[in-house]
Amino acid sequence: MRPALVRVDGVSKYYPRVHRPWERLRAFAALVAGREPQGGARVLQDISLEIMPGESFGIIGENGAGKSTLLKVLTGVISPSRGSVSVNARVAALLELGAGFQPEFSGMDNVRMKASLLGLSSKQLNQRMDDILAFADIGEYVHEPVKHYSSGMVVRLGFAVVAASDPEILITDEVLAVGDESFQKKCINWIESFLHRGNTLLMVSHSMYLVQKLCQRALWLHEGRARQQGEVFEVTQSYLAWHELRSAKEKLGREAQPGNGGMYRIDSFTLHGQGSTGVAQPVIDTSGEAGGKVEVRLGMGEDIGADMVLYSPDGRPPVALFGIGRADGTPVYGVDSDFDRAGPLQIDPHRFRYRIRFNAPALLPGSYSVRGHAMDPEGLRLCDTTERRLRVMGDSREWGFVRLPHDWS
Amino acid sequence: MNLFSNSIFTQLVSRSIRTDYLENLTGFAWLILQPLLLLAVYAFVFTNIFQARIPNDAGIGFVPYLAVAFWPWTAFSEAILKGSNTVVANAALIGKVAFPGELLPLSMVSATFVMHTAGYLAVLIVLQASGTYIHWLGVALALPLLLLLWLFACAITLFTSALQVFVRDVAQILPPLMTFWFFTTPILYGTSLLPESLRAWLDWNPMTWFVSRLRDLVLLGQYPLSWVDLLAPVLVPALLWLGLKFFRRFAGHFEDFL
Repeated sequence: MRPALVRVDGVSKYYPRVHRPWERLRAFAALVAGREPQGGARVLQDISLEIMPGESFGIIGENGAGKSTLLKVLTGVISPSRGSVSVNARVAALLELGAGFQPEFSGMDNVRMKASLLGLSSKQLNQRMDDILAFADIGEYVHEPVKHYSSGMVVRLGFAVVAASDPEILITDEVLAVGDESFQKKCINWIESFLHRGNTLLMVSHSMYLVQKLCQRALWLHEGRARQQGEVFEVTQSYLAWHELRSAKEKLGREAQPGNGGMYRIDSFTLHGQGSTGVAQPVIDTSGEAGGKVEVRLGMGEDIGADMVLYSPDGRPPVALFGIGRADGTPVYGVDSDFDRAGPLQIDPHRFRYRIRFNAPALLPGSYSVRGHAMDPEGLRLCDTTERRLRVMGDSREWGFVRLPHDWS
Repeated sequence: MNLFSNSIFTQLVSRSIRTDYLENLTGFAWLILQPLLLLAVYAFVFTNIFQARIPNDAGIGFVPYLAVAFWPWTAFSEAILKGSNTVVANAALIGKVAFPGELLPLSMVSATFVMHTAGYLAVLIVLQASGTYIHWLGVALALPLLLLLWLFACAITLFTSALQVFVRDVAQILPPLMTFWFFTTPILYGTSLLPESLRAWLDWNPMTWFVSRLRDLVLLGQYPLSWVDLLAPVLVPALLWLGLKFFRRFAGHFEDFL
């Protein structure tokens, strides 16, 4: 087995509080004494990862989750408060727009400076200068001071030098987003051929599409901790699902909760899947109040079944409505028993059981909620609502909620 | 240290020379002109107002006596003051790009010395043209001395530039300290004119050794060897090594404080 190119072992990073002079002095005194300064922001906590040669690795997470700090630790710009980092390769990092660029100087001068920072000798630089200028493609602007550049031009120049420096590991922090469409494509093409040549990529991005396209593995950072690490689709999907849930929660806080005071109400609601292979999936009982907290997991294309028992005070059968929506509340499909003219099974004078099965639904991987509603017998008034979580697992880079039947010709 | 083969270093040196001295066409002219004007001011003040006394046994005029020591001092002092600021001033670079941070102060000190050495040679030529006898062999022999002065400035700046990241007051304390150092170095006066008790103290000032050796070489063509001459080539590199250790010890924490 080949040794890891990048090894991060239990890394934590605290930023000491240094706003006031005495805080600076105290922190400095701690450093002189060989201790870590106390207090301050905990930006990273106990992060470990290993990246093998030829691997591509994505780091995702909210703003302020510690992604950029992790990259800084990896590139050696800052030293970790605890833990160790070793990188055994020629690294080129593109951490920030025009890092190391001096605005007063021309693009050409800055290319020379940046190239020296990346370890290119002047001989190598002269050989590759034409390639750099062709890649950046900013024309005569290269002789203008960088302060007159647009941010896109700065990125073009920066990426062009990085590409020319022929690194073994490329580390980028969400800088490509600044370039225009065609330049982004150029960069992505370059990165793909770079990976194809057996090199290693470490990227931070908020574009799950890019991460899924370019990376094999991913790390989800949440508030400085590693929340999940593993295969890229698994990690990005749980990250997206978490986002959807969070925005759904916010939405719920704003809207009035549906009243539970209706005459017709839900007695129990059970969600279960049955694999297309016929293997029964775990069924989660939901009679408890905390039912919504557990989720049913299904593979893509497996059947979804739901059982709902409705209570009717006057003995007339209520109408049942089933709906599937994304975790953020966007409806995907809903149908009621009235429209389908489906009848319930009467359990006792006041209770009716509805069963529904969605056959091999085309739901794409992600987090969903399945809702059951009790309506009055006329199907006019919504009386009660309950909801269960459903997680569809699978590898897919398709867009949207459902897979539409299609063929290429 | 392998400084010269490192192209980051040469890039940084040429960058500082260009921003600090060659921004405009007259930049280089001012580099010569400004110290010349300053020299004229000092010459006027100290020969006419304060009536400064210099040891006149060798028949050296006040202006050459001052000029030969004043230039290296200016380079030394300016290098330290500018170099100390470099880490704080380049916070953006330090926080974004991984490179040996000590190159920032070292390149600034070096750029200052390169420019002032050019000015120094120009002034020596002006002195020669105006009738002072310059010992050019002594000037050649003074180059190792200037090299040592450069290393000395590098060493000090490594300490001060790193310290300034943590204690910003360094920027305020340093200029008066350098002025104090200027006046406690026999640049405007000669040690032989001082009271005996004070002279003993001044001998502990390393700059006293630098400027008197420079005068001996350039103006008198003499080199009286003493134990300091053997010690200095050992002590200065040792101090530089300590400075590098100090700088690198704290370099990983710069970003937290910038």
